[in-house]
Amino acid sequence: MTIISAPAGSGKTSLLRAWADRQGRPYRLAVVQVQRDQQDAQQFCLALLGAVRRATGAFSDAEPQPATPEFNARAMADKVLSELAEARGDITLVIDDLHELTSPDALGQLTRLLTNLPPHAHAVLTTRRDVPRLRLHQMRLAGELTEIRAADLRFPERETRELLEASGIALSEAGVALLHQRTEGWAAGLRLAAISLAGHPDPERFVAEFSGSDRTVAEYLVDEMLDRQPAEIQDLLLRTCLLDRVNRELADLLTGRPGSERILLELEDANAFVVSLDPERTWFRYHHLFSDLLRLELRRRMPEETPALHRRAAWWFSRHGQVVDAIRHTQAAGDWPGAARLLADHTFSLTLDGQAETMQALVRAFPPGVDHPELALVRAAGDLVQGRLDEAAAHLAVAEAHVEAAPPDRQRRLRVAVAALKLSLARRRGHLAGVLEQVRFLDSPVTGQSDEDIALGSDLRAVALMNLGAAEAWSLGLRDAERHLQEGAALAREIGRPYLEVGCLAQLGFASKVDPFATTQRRCREAIGLAERYGWGTEPVIAPALVTLAGTMVWTGEFDEAERWLQRSAQALETDTGPEIRLLMHHTTGILHACRGRHDEALEEFSAADRLRSQLEGSHALANQVTGWLLASQARAGMPGQALAALAALGDERASSGEIRNARAVICLEERDPAGALGAVREVLDGTAPVIGYVTLVEAQLLAGLAHGELGDQRAANQAAERALALAEQDRLVLPFAITGSRELLEALPRHETAHAALLADILDVLHGSSRSAKDRSSSPPAEELSPGELRVLRFLPTNLSRPEIAGELSVSVNTVNTHVRSIYAKLRVRDRSSAVQRARELRLLSAGLTR
Amino acid sequence: MRFHLPALNHGRMDPAPALYTIRIRGRLGATLLSAFPALASRQHGAHTVLTGPLDRSALYGVLAEIEALGLDLIEVRQVMLERGSPESGDCRSP
Repeated sequence: MTIISAPAGSGKTSLLRAWADRQGRPYRLAVVQVQRDQQDAQQFCLALLGAVRRATGAFSDAEPQPATPEFNARAMADKVLSELAEARGDITLVIDDLHELTSPDALGQLTRLLTNLPPHAHAVLTTRRDVPRLRLHQMRLAGELTEIRAADLRFPERETRELLEASGIALSEAGVALLHQRTEGWAAGLRLAAISLAGHPDPERFVAEFSGSDRTVAEYLVDEMLDRQPAEIQDLLLRTCLLDRVNRELADLLTGRPGSERILLELEDANAFVVSLDPERTWFRYHHLFSDLLRLELRRRMPEETPALHRRAAWWFSRHGQVVDAIRHTQAAGDWPGAARLLADHTFSLTLDGQAETMQALVRAFPPGVDHPELALVRAAGDLVQGRLDEAAAHLAVAEAHVEAAPPDRQRRLRVAVAALKLSLARRRGHLAGVLEQVRFLDSPVTGQSDEDIALGSDLRAVALMNLGAAEAWSLGLRDAERHLQEGAALAREIGRPYLEVGCLAQLGFASKVDPFATTQRRCREAIGLAERYGWGTEPVIAPALVTLAGTMVWTGEFDEAERWLQRSAQALETDTGPEIRLLMHHTTGILHACRGRHDEALEEFSAADRLRSQLEGSHALANQVTGWLLASQARAGMPGQALAALAALGDERASSGEIRNARAVICLEERDPAGALGAVREVLDGTAPVIGYVTLVEAQLLAGLAHGELGDQRAANQAAERALALAEQDRLVLPFAITGSRELLEALPRHETAHAALLADILDVLHGSSRSAKDRSSSPPAEELSPGELRVLRFLPTNLSRPEIAGELSVSVNTVNTHVRSIYAKLRVRDRSSAVQRARELRLLSAGLTR
Repeated sequence: MRFHLPALNHGRMDPAPALYTIRIRGRLGATLLSAFPALASRQHGAHTVLTGPLDRSALYGVLAEIEALGLDLIEVRQVMLERGSPESGDCRSP
């Protein structure tokens, strides 16, 4: 790795360019120019990723990676590393102006990146000052670091002469020596001098006067250079220097005259500190030092014009959607209210573009005495991103109070913005009860919008819909949730906000959890597929879908696959955005452990879920289920006494719920009190106890069955088991059987006493540990799909019923069964019953939902 | 150069500014001096000395400006005001 560390004007970038142009193409370059005052780690990392991709030629026609509001710098750095590793041949990362990178996050990840470069990758960095945070000490010690410093870049006298000769300047030896001495070989000084010297009538005198002056080199020479330019060019330079970058339109706008393009091109050709930024030479940049001095000069010569220039620039940037530049120039023009309005209007867009830090930096730039009420909205958004919930609430209250006082054309937008943030805050706190009432107005269709409204409002509305739908899903207003999330996803697709589209679809997957499993799984997979397309497969935004999908698999007994999805959820939730998803993940993981008989791990997970539940304000929909299984796990993990004590501490209301009664029954069974268990579940069985869902009923039946078994009443046990199977048949639930450990109970059930032989066989398979995993799935699907009749027969194949018995079950003739079986064998390409069963399992033809 | 001058311009002094002298090589002309409007400047031989009260963020703002303009920083010194010293302008007898 090479680092070029030298002050402004030393010639770092020129060196870089000269080196890059000389390369000859086996060397590929990934170039990143760090933007001025780059606070946002994401912006930098995305630029890096983009540069690497362009250099390696991968993804050549793909769109650039979009930004996300929640950013994981580590994951992005990993991505860059892996793409570098895959690139064949040498590749060099070039990072120019590293000192502009102020984000500690970015610097940390960059350090990691640089110290872990694959052998064929190199890096060159330029910076104006040393960056201690970039911990390169190890590399230095290992001799892997080359440093080029100011002293190395200084022109010795010989090179000074060469430079002058190359510019066609005739100067005496003495003159050259004088010039060299005065500038001390400083590159910028020499180049500025060369510009003034070229075509100068008396170069010797120029050098003599320059040498005799005690003014600083830069100021003297820039003055000289400027004075020698024709008025037109001086004017252009002065008026455009306040821009970070300039094009023809902006230059014409600021000078009030056409013809800027020609001047800019000429300036670049004359090597006068103007550099084009693109191959087509439409955008230009002045050397920082040069423009800094020009800006001072501008303020000195035309102080009253400067705010007007900034305003004009702000207008242009605003029209061209470059919001941050527009705001910066509005602030520079001293128009603080205008800047506040722009910031408020673009809060959501900037956050979605991953520019939250930049936004906060812009807020901090407001002078202390000036606090426009609209800034409260921006501050609230920033607080939420940072997790400062109380501050967010306070700022939001201020913002809300201001809405009434705002001009009518802005009121609607501000109201929607406040609503969206309120919803987000409510979800983070788990306090959803009151908020949904306050945001009813979001339901009404939007009419009579100006063009500006639509442009500014779309991002806003999409975010609002997503937050609204999510809030509704968590408080079980599921129909409303589905409606709003679908609207949100469609809008997001229309306005090209893939992040919001994924967010809406992920929440939609979660909201589908009371729909049939097939629907839920389809929606979750759709959301996950879209997320993966954008590389967001393990981002927090997709977590609701991941966890919900895992949940459906746990319920139907596909434990191995459920585990994989839960691992992905855990990864996605490393950078978290709220307690509710985390709660759900712990809850689902706990269930998985419990189903596999790992009661200690289950206890840990349920405890974690319970802790989160108690942090949320207001009661949680799943509260009793969480607590119930927590107590059950405690009992099964060998701590029935503790569980009993905890149960006693619950209020009467909670203790009378079905889920808690079941937990009491589990405790009784662990304490060898089957009669007590039966007593505990009586109200659940007779339907008087409130339950969250029918899974609680299934569980109760099984617990009763286990109790009867212990009391020696096998008939009652069998009846209970049969009732449980009947309830579970529709969705082919495996969960309650697994979590209650009912293997022996089911095995004791004679096959002729059950109408659910197929389901029974499936469940026993799962409980015996043969995994229904995706790994076993072979790659070729069946030749054709099985007909409904064939599927019905197929379900009985895993049982040990004979063909006549199957015919009896299905009320068809034996011939029909034989025909179906032949067809099944043909379609599945098997030759016997057990192979057919195995193949059917692999293709998941026996899973929930498909045989309904 | 940042768009906004350091906090000096807002007419409010933060609690504990200290008096600093900052020595720069070369004579700063009118243009460069306009980058440091809140500091007094004085020529000291081949150097320019800027003097003024600065709190910490203002101080680092000035230093950043010096770096951005490619100036040669010779010395930064916090001045202890002593009775009777010419710097403090205190004319009382010791």
